[in-house]
Amino acid sequence: MNKVKILGSIFLIMLISFIFYVNSNKKREEPENRKPIINSPFEVDTIRLPGGDWGYPSPYAHYPRGPGGFKMCLIFDSLLERDEKGLIPWLAVNYEIQDNGKKFLFTLRDGVKWHNGKPLTMEDVKFSLLYASKHPMTWSYIFNKIETVEITDKNKVLVIVTNPGPVMLYNLGRTRIIPRHIWEKVNVPKEFTATEAVTGCGPYRLTEYSKEHGTYRFEAFKDYWGPAQRVKTLEFIPVSESILAFEKGEIDMSGLPTDILPRFLNDTRYKIVKSPGFWGYRLLFNMGETSSLKDKKVRQAISYGIDLDELVAKIARGAAIPGSAGILPPDHVMYNPFVMSYSRNLKIAKGLLSKAGYDLLNDKGLRKNKAGKVLSFQVLCSGREVRMVQILKERLFEIGININIQSVDGKTRDARVRNHEYQMAITGHGGWGADPDYLKIRFGHDFSRSNSPSVSGLPGYNNDTLNLLFHQQHMEMNKEKRRKIVFRIQEMLAEDVPDLPLFYTTGFTVFRPEKYNGWEFMFDHHSLAHSKLSYLEKKIRK
Amino acid sequence: MMMPGKYLTFINRFSKTGQTGLIIVGIVFFMAIFAPLISVHSHKLSSGPPLSSPNGEHILGTDELGVDLWAQICFGSRISLVIGMGTALLAGSCGGLIGVLAAYSGGMTDRILMRIIDIITVLPDLPVMIVLAAFFGPGLINIIIVLSLFSWVATARIVRSQVLQLKEQLYIKSAETYGAGTWYLMKRHFLPEIFPLVAVSMIRLTGKAIVAEAGLSFLGLGDPASGSWGLIIHHATSFTGIYYTNFWKWWLIAPWIALTLMVSSLAFISRDFERFADPRMDRRKNRYQKQ
Repeated sequence: MNKVKILGSIFLIMLISFIFYVNSNKKREEPENRKPIINSPFEVDTIRLPGGDWGYPSPYAHYPRGPGGFKMCLIFDSLLERDEKGLIPWLAVNYEIQDNGKKFLFTLRDGVKWHNGKPLTMEDVKFSLLYASKHPMTWSYIFNKIETVEITDKNKVLVIVTNPGPVMLYNLGRTRIIPRHIWEKVNVPKEFTATEAVTGCGPYRLTEYSKEHGTYRFEAFKDYWGPAQRVKTLEFIPVSESILAFEKGEIDMSGLPTDILPRFLNDTRYKIVKSPGFWGYRLLFNMGETSSLKDKKVRQAISYGIDLDELVAKIARGAAIPGSAGILPPDHVMYNPFVMSYSRNLKIAKGLLSKAGYDLLNDKGLRKNKAGKVLSFQVLCSGREVRMVQILKERLFEIGININIQSVDGKTRDARVRNHEYQMAITGHGGWGADPDYLKIRFGHDFSRSNSPSVSGLPGYNNDTLNLLFHQQHMEMNKEKRRKIVFRIQEMLAEDVPDLPLFYTTGFTVFRPEKYNGWEFMFDHHSLAHSKLSYLEKKIRK
Repeated sequence: MMMPGKYLTFINRFSKTGQTGLIIVGIVFFMAIFAPLISVHSHKLSSGPPLSSPNGEHILGTDELGVDLWAQICFGSRISLVIGMGTALLAGSCGGLIGVLAAYSGGMTDRILMRIIDIITVLPDLPVMIVLAAFFGPGLINIIIVLSLFSWVATARIVRSQVLQLKEQLYIKSAETYGAGTWYLMKRHFLPEIFPLVAVSMIRLTGKAIVAEAGLSFLGLGDPASGSWGLIIHHATSFTGIYYTNFWKWWLIAPWIALTLMVSSLAFISRDFERFADPRMDRRKNRYQKQ
């Protein structure tokens, strides 16, 4: 019996110490802020951010999500770059759009060097654009839309495209420039993961990568042409709980859930920034395989049945904007606030289902049609979205639709969405703030060769009027006219609901301004850490 | 049929810890059977504000979707029991049969079976279980099968050694000489002898399976719709920064206590059962106490 008492006491002591440990975290001393290094051109020696494996950071081998792509962008520069307001000249000092968007003339910067010391030439630029149209990069924007690339002068390159339009500037401008002397011998670029595959002309060089540990280390490239690097070394390290790692000083920036905001809010040591809503979750409908989803009325009924505000409150804990059925988020420059909105309305939802022929109920309260087909769907999601699907299940049951949860890991979900192996699916990704031409890629069957989870295409969906409007906005050079077309597209999409944006996250990010305060957003992106300009001087070095 | 008096005598044979274990397991069984009656709210649908602390309406509070935690614990006990008992039955009976088969047939069959048992014994079970669970996909039956695949070996070993001993007993030899068939021997002599052993390992397996299921669910490999205790813990720990809030005090602690109590109780019961099954242990204990 004594043994039991001793064991019990040990257990109690452990429990009490655990509780004290957790509570005492609040008072934990801050690590000393590292001061700028003396006699160093850099403002900070090392910035550490949460890691994880996002693939080898070559333009072809990285995993097609933000944390993978933006690491690659640190190594590879492009003709244009994105700052907080829009596109800015980068490797190209200026550009001209000719022939109503048929031709783009870029004037290149002098004195740009590759990481191996060789100079960047006009041939490299020409090669990169043609190579990228032949072998689409993981984040591809141009596919096979380039007719020719001509070097017209010693520092001028003229790109002629097959599909003229204003968006091609954005697409050409973001395409990474790769060294010809390395890549011209590569026939299967996705499998090329030698050290040379990460030789770029960007501000940082990859000095360490471990797939197993999910770590990356980048060092400032000393012969960089552009704005001086403010951070000498960037390290991505694995962390299990990012807030804890941030508090302990292991990492220098962390996402901040709403419930923990008060902990950092009135503390001058921390700066909290709210992200624009350019990262969102969508509910996808596979209209190719699932016949009932082909009916617009069923999709509309589902939209009326779901309570987007509830999702924002419970899943995002308030840090999100409910989805707009017109797809473009409210923070987007071309957002149409007057599109049809689907506030939760069970009466309308049930009415629509009855009109679609599902006017009978089975013994479980589920709707079925005269042929006995019950409205029941499998929703594919990753482990992170299970709770979201549980809410959808609860709400849709109220209008007589059954949902079965199919949870797989994130990469499997992405692959299955790409291969259209689902009935309904939930996927979350960034890129919602990009040029609205992405609507054409999402809903206009223009997704042929991309790997991005945002570009999966919607099987079984086709709307000729929309296709025409997609084409028109793509060609329209007049900004105001284009905006009107994009507004019209959003109205039509909202009515058709080919997929349903659930919410756009507007999470918070916390960092220590005393350690480093150079963070900035790109005009169309949600993450501070992803902007290359976050690590560079604001003024371009002459 | 055992008379009530006999029940009492039987329970009295248990140690104090064993009795406590019996009471707790009894309560869990009661919770599982009468879950719809003892929980006012639904265990799947939200019935209150999200993340509300324990109060009169929700005695254990609610999770982030506003689902009552008491109801989840009650219904979760069903999953734990089904998985625990399902695995124990499947692994226990398969292990028992294989053990008897190996010992009785001997020769090549015995050698092959023993090597298979050796291989499974040395395989680290959790990593392989994770791979298998990910491969088969989530689902109650799949989890039971995956857990059983690793749990039958211990039973098989014990049963085999017991049957090997029995085979050499004179009364078995004489029964064989009088022409007793395999089935007769099995039914009449082997099964009654090995049953207590199998029962003990089944109880032990139940506890192990409950923990393993909780582990798999915690890692996100369980059935996402099952609502087991492990899954509640998984959802709680997946809530970003839960330890910086007060939510863990009810959302995490409740399923953790339920799980710990249940598994410890099973361990106590199995210890006592072991004593009943092997009276030598009792004698050893008495001798030890006298000294």
